[in-house]
Amino acid sequence: MAEGYIGIDVGSISTKGVVVDREFNVLASRYLRTQGNPIDSIRRLLAELGGQVDSGVRILGAGTTGSARRLAGVMVQADIVKNEIITHAVAASHFHPEVRTVIEIGGQDSKIIILRDAIPVDFAMNTVCAAGTGSFLDHQATRLGRPIEEFGGLALRAKNRVNIAGRCTVFAESDMIHKAQLGISTEDIVAGLCDAIVRNYMNTVAKGKEIHPLILFQGGVAANVGVKKAFELMLGHDVLVPEHFLVMGAVGAAIVASEETDGKGTRFAGFDVADTDFQTRAFECEGCPNRCEVIETLREAKVIDRYGDRCGKWSKL
Amino acid sequence: MKASFPNLGYDTYALKTFLEDLGAEVILPPPNSRRTIEFGSLHSPELICMPYKITLGNMLEALELGADTLFMAAGARKCRFGYYHYLHERALRDLGKECRFIPVTQYSPFDFVFKVMPGIFDVSPFRVMRAVTKMLAKSRLTQEFRQHLNRKMAIDFGGAEQAKPKALAVIERAHTLKEIQAARGEVLRIFNLNGTEPQIRLGLVGEIYFMIEQFASQEIEKELGKMGAEVVFERSLYRHIRHLLFSDPAFTRSGRLAHRYLQESPGGEAIRTVGEAVYFQRQGLDGVVHIFPFTCMPENIALEALQKLSEETGLPVLSLSFDEHTSRTGLLTRLEAFVDLVKRRKLGRRLHRN
Repeated sequence: MAEGYIGIDVGSISTKGVVVDREFNVLASRYLRTQGNPIDSIRRLLAELGGQVDSGVRILGAGTTGSARRLAGVMVQADIVKNEIITHAVAASHFHPEVRTVIEIGGQDSKIIILRDAIPVDFAMNTVCAAGTGSFLDHQATRLGRPIEEFGGLALRAKNRVNIAGRCTVFAESDMIHKAQLGISTEDIVAGLCDAIVRNYMNTVAKGKEIHPLILFQGGVAANVGVKKAFELMLGHDVLVPEHFLVMGAVGAAIVASEETDGKGTRFAGFDVADTDFQTRAFECEGCPNRCEVIETLREAKVIDRYGDRCGKWSKL
Repeated sequence: MKASFPNLGYDTYALKTFLEDLGAEVILPPPNSRRTIEFGSLHSPELICMPYKITLGNMLEALELGADTLFMAAGARKCRFGYYHYLHERALRDLGKECRFIPVTQYSPFDFVFKVMPGIFDVSPFRVMRAVTKMLAKSRLTQEFRQHLNRKMAIDFGGAEQAKPKALAVIERAHTLKEIQAARGEVLRIFNLNGTEPQIRLGLVGEIYFMIEQFASQEIEKELGKMGAEVVFERSLYRHIRHLLFSDPAFTRSGRLAHRYLQESPGGEAIRTVGEAVYFQRQGLDGVVHIFPFTCMPENIALEALQKLSEETGLPVLSLSFDEHTSRTGLLTRLEAFVDLVKRRKLGRRLHRN
């Protein structure tokens, strides 16, 4: 039987998962919408991944990442729970060892990772708002009445890219309406939007970072050829969208799982977690004026994880 | 006099001893909590920095406990913190709070000992001098405590959690100079450091209130310790007082070392922040974490200088600004990523295994 690792990346908008072999070739990969319900999306993900590999792969290690990495880690009994900076960097340098810059734009956050000799040396994440991320594009696509999948192609057909204010969704929207009322073509406006995203990214996330090739562009927004083109125009370098750009975080999680287990054996609960009942609930601790919000996860009505308390009174199970 | 003052990290003990020595009954505000910051923010201008909001919250909570006299650090050093006491006093008056408000500005040591303190407490300059000596000794003790604690957390987090309350009890109990002296050894013994080296060592720099009061930074030293990083710092109340009285070698050095990246002081503690980062880099520390309140002008300038230092030397630097809305999840993700990055870099481990 083949052997491999499983990596799961649960973000705010999408849930990604891969099964890789011992050389980290992708055997199975799935991309689902989280739809505000990570427990459900993780369950569906495992069911679909399990279906793809058809129990033909023995899992040697499991890793989780993304903003719901902890929940995912508890649910599948991952061997390692790792932040998304490291997993994206790990995957990028695995497929392209000469990478020096990783641009990652997901549904609600964006980041830049600087690598030297395949080691991450610096990073930054967007801080306060989701301007310039996938949600922003999604929203504008809806406004223009075009499916998001068409957006990139539209932008490439632009003749005169217009200037759109990209600082904030609200301003961008009023600017877009204004430009449309002037009679400017949708293609030019969409290209302007792609430029606005890139400008916003360069001025906030990538501020002060030295961007050298090879530049990889990962995350959901990398599917948008218009944004890729806008990055190339802005940076004056080619930007490479790797083959597995949608699931790079998940691949990275699988790789760190292999580093972590290293032949020690896995805790992975198996693909049939899909049939187990999980619940998450939150309560406010009244023990002191800090009133920490404690989050607990239950498996079959039994508490298996608690966190969020500063003092450690609840997290010690 | 039922005196109180805003919490100042572990140095609260040193300040308490000082006021007690001058004859005041000290009522400490409750430990900083979400209530403190919510209380303070409610009566603060929206964009004022976190030190203002927390200290105001402390004052309000201390008054609830019966304090009648409030002490607050003051003294304009080209940073607005120096003027906060005016605002505090007005805010309290507007809320109808009755109390005596005493700003303690950075007087000359002579004035402090011979005029100001004797004027407030009706004591002899000799007694003030003795109290200052004791405060100095006690703040040195808390500084050492924090150094031992940070190292212990990085090598044995569970052990550190157990040792901490024991060591704090020793510090609180030490009253005379002799006892304080003896406590230094005892604190070290409680932490039982046995020479184990932590995986990585990170320098902590930033705004002074954040450097001393861990609540503001959501206990960043503890979080980093949990991740196996020892946090090293230069700034402390002890060094501050010492620098005001005589001159502190570490402080003088940081002023000199900053020069390459920052020639003029933009106010506040920016020069120290930069100088200490340069010092940590030369000492071979693995990285620097820079913490400051959101909207802090001097530290934002220091941030630019630190970026230049990082570019020139390759020193990993993580700058973090905080306000009461700072998300804990976002903070922990960044800290974890930074620690991972520094560890991988130090171990020279290639990320991929080809």
